[in-house]
Amino acid sequence: MRKIILVFLILTGVLFPQKRDPDIILRKLLEKFDNVEDYQVDVRIKVDVEFIKAPESKAKIYFKQPDKIHIQSETFALIPKDGLDFSPSGLLGKKYTSIYEKDDTIDGNKVSVIKIIPLGEGNVILTTLFIDSDESLIRKLETTTKSEGTFSINLKYKPNAEYPLPSEMIFSFDMEGLNLPPGISGELNSDSQEKLKKERNKPVRGKVYISYSNYKVNQGIPDEIFNEPLK
Amino acid sequence: MLTLIKIEIYKIFKKWRTYISFIAIGVLIPIIHIAMMIEGEHSIDYMTRNLKQSFIFVGNLLNGYLISYVILNSLVVHIPFLIALVAGDLLAGEATAGTYRIIITRPVSRFKIICSKFFAGIFYTNLLVLFLAVMSLGLGILIFGTGELIVLKSSGIIIFERGDVFWRFLAAYAFASLSMSVVAGLAFLFSSLVENAIGPIVSTMAIIIIFIIISAINVEFFQSIRPYLFTTYMNSWRLLFDNPLNLKEILESALILLSHSAIFFAATVYIFNKKDILS
Repeated sequence: MRKIILVFLILTGVLFPQKRDPDIILRKLLEKFDNVEDYQVDVRIKVDVEFIKAPESKAKIYFKQPDKIHIQSETFALIPKDGLDFSPSGLLGKKYTSIYEKDDTIDGNKVSVIKIIPLGEGNVILTTLFIDSDESLIRKLETTTKSEGTFSINLKYKPNAEYPLPSEMIFSFDMEGLNLPPGISGELNSDSQEKLKKERNKPVRGKVYISYSNYKVNQGIPDEIFNEPLK
Repeated sequence: MLTLIKIEIYKIFKKWRTYISFIAIGVLIPIIHIAMMIEGEHSIDYMTRNLKQSFIFVGNLLNGYLISYVILNSLVVHIPFLIALVAGDLLAGEATAGTYRIIITRPVSRFKIICSKFFAGIFYTNLLVLFLAVMSLGLGILIFGTGELIVLKSSGIIIFERGDVFWRFLAAYAFASLSMSVVAGLAFLFSSLVENAIGPIVSTMAIIIIFIIISAINVEFFQSIRPYLFTTYMNSWRLLFDNPLNLKEILESALILLSHSAIFFAATVYIFNKKDILS
């Protein structure tokens, strides 16, 4: 009888594995990130987008809990809005419902796939988080929005890093047409305008590569910095 | 020859109408700068409004380079008139003043007279474009500073690094000088045909406006004749603000403009040599 019960338990464990609790995984993630009170970091941004040719740029990003963020750059920089704040507190700051979907692997790291459905009004329809539950790190996130299409963020971290802050980010997006107007520095002849009309409504895909270096964590950042205009 | 050119330049700058162009540019460009100070940010916001839904723009896009680029875009329509104003008067002005006989009876060949007048006209043209460059680029940088240049093209948006812009402007203004030299050559040619400066000025502008309208109408017939209109190549300075550069097309356009200048000059020499001076 004992043997039958043991075989039954093993089989139910294999055939019907216990689902992980997404709230526990998300709480751990938040707790780990809460160790970061503030940080400043140097970033290099490379834009690889059809229809946009932009040089590689450098900037400095300041962050302070819970969601204060500021960018400074001596040169022109094009930074994806949604890729700027990857902090879990930013993502999970509002009311939401979470659903554990499955386990998966990203770059050899085991991840738990959790779907986050925001409650109430907002631009985000659904976010899927790929969380390394062993290290409590977000490895990837995919978001579908109402107005800006779909984007995904892949995050890479230095091994054994003290804080859950990425060293690299790849922001991939798929937008509807840029709908560019004939601007003040535009071309005048009809040929170019015709081409522009055709191009402007084409869906735009692209990637933005951001590499982070020289993190200064928990050194205190005055609040005034976050009130400064972007420059 | 150099003395003759100097005399012709002296004659150009002795006339009040020569300064109209410099005054016009000297007034117009600061007005554009003021307008850009007030409305520039709004215009850039409008231009990039969709992009700004997904991206944060950091840095100074409203700078001297952008304003110079906007001003240079208007070159093809407005500056030719200022060029024709002087170049159209170079020969016809002598006829109007009744001084043709005096200059032709001097011991200087007609070819030399034509050459000196033509080069004096080209000197004026280049000086005007240089003045335009100093006023738009120099004043623009002084007021707005430098920065990256954003250019909206049919192929997309190009953002140039600030260190990669100045040389493009120098080359673009050089190209603009070449374009305006063609206008000067055309006005000079018309000037050899008549005895009043109004005719060459109006005819030159009429031809440029007609050619520009033909280029702008999107009918297959007009599009097929576009490559044969010199106005098509006057805008080729824009090719210098492309990434990567299409050197072949730039050189081709420059050669076509040079050939037009040479043809207009040769035709003027032929007409003037055959001309029966009656005034």
